[in-house]
Amino acid sequence: MNSQRIDDATAGYILETRKCFEDLRQVAAQIAGVLVLAAAGGKSATPDHPMLQAAAELHRAAFDQLRSARPTGRAREHHHRLTQAAHALSDALAAALSPARRMEIDPILLPVRAAYAHLQRAADTLPGFEMVAFEQGCCAIQPAL
Amino acid sequence: MNNYSIWVMEYAHVPNYHLSGLIYGAHNQGYRRLPYCYIAIKGQGRVAMVDVGYNHQAYGEVLANTYGVRNWHPPREVLAECGLTPEDVSSIFITHAHFDHMGNIEDFPNATFYIQERELSKWVWTMSLERRFRWLLLGIDPGDILRAVDLARQGRLVCVNGDREDVLPGIDLHAAFDTHTWGSMWVTVRAHDTWVFCGDLAYTMENLRGEDSGDPQYVPVGLATGSQFNLIMASEAMVKAARGDVTRVIPVHEDRLKDMYPSRVTSADLRITELALAEGEPSRVR
Repeated sequence: MNSQRIDDATAGYILETRKCFEDLRQVAAQIAGVLVLAAAGGKSATPDHPMLQAAAELHRAAFDQLRSARPTGRAREHHHRLTQAAHALSDALAAALSPARRMEIDPILLPVRAAYAHLQRAADTLPGFEMVAFEQGCCAIQPAL
Repeated sequence: MNNYSIWVMEYAHVPNYHLSGLIYGAHNQGYRRLPYCYIAIKGQGRVAMVDVGYNHQAYGEVLANTYGVRNWHPPREVLAECGLTPEDVSSIFITHAHFDHMGNIEDFPNATFYIQERELSKWVWTMSLERRFRWLLLGIDPGDILRAVDLARQGRLVCVNGDREDVLPGIDLHAAFDTHTWGSMWVTVRAHDTWVFCGDLAYTMENLRGEDSGDPQYVPVGLATGSQFNLIMASEAMVKAARGDVTRVIPVHEDRLKDMYPSRVTSADLRITELALAEGEPSRVR
């Protein structure tokens, strides 16, 4: 995580995009969740799985939010990474929701993996973004003393 | 006679963890060193593990800088202290899907992973909920889900539905639904003694016997996705499986195992605790 001093405008950008980041992370997790079911042979893993519909809606909202964000110079890399993640998730959703074929894993998994990598890189460029919600969990999930 | 050698292997720690996170209701009662460990089990011609730790590449810096986790070391280095390699490990029992128990699955290329089906299915269901339910996803890493996809495709992910006896000779899996997580699991190894590996169903001995060992009581851990009642009943089941000997129920976050069993500290400042030795196996702590 890059914790160099953050100017006010960048802090505003962080606040503005935090939910978008979390939503994209959630979309990646939702698609991956259906893929686990598919890979494990689950019969419910079909293009009309309700979670894919939920993921598509969340993705649409996150993308709209991302388009309206105003990145500062300091936040440009972060914004670029989020945008790349959103595009990759578009590809994954298009493949997952395609009614023309049975759910194939690779055309979905590869863009989800790419999106996950972009989100990780985004989280590395600015403070306040984490891939795992550590803050209330078990074990070491409290701020350092 | 023991059929298995068993070690508790520390791979990182938190120097000062608040006690109320470990023991339900223990507010303002101070802090304790919290080791992060997994279990290595060797015998009958195979190597198994209970849990695998977390992915340092992904989270090490955040956990170190923000949450005070110290001294992470990779499984290759940790297991070598007992003469093992990650490639030796053929079976891994995932007690629950939190990042610090399941997050390092990529480091074990030859292992088959066992997890409760309910842990996965409820995990997936939780992801479908709206944002206001996100507390239910704490500790879950989307990256682990992607890694689970790969495991499933390779036929290395076994979803267990409830209890399973003799998953390996003398090793049983036990479901503890709606406790610490949706589909937590504990593991017994039946040897000369019966050992119970409880994942995070207990963090510390106080969860299993309270403050007064002369008048024991179960006190749940500080975090439950399910219920405290279910945690207490799971504690009872585990202690019963250990034939009433609470010292045979092993919480991997308990720093005082060193006072109960032989152990040593490695040159990397990690503690290895030896619970059992199979015939012919040299001690790794003496």
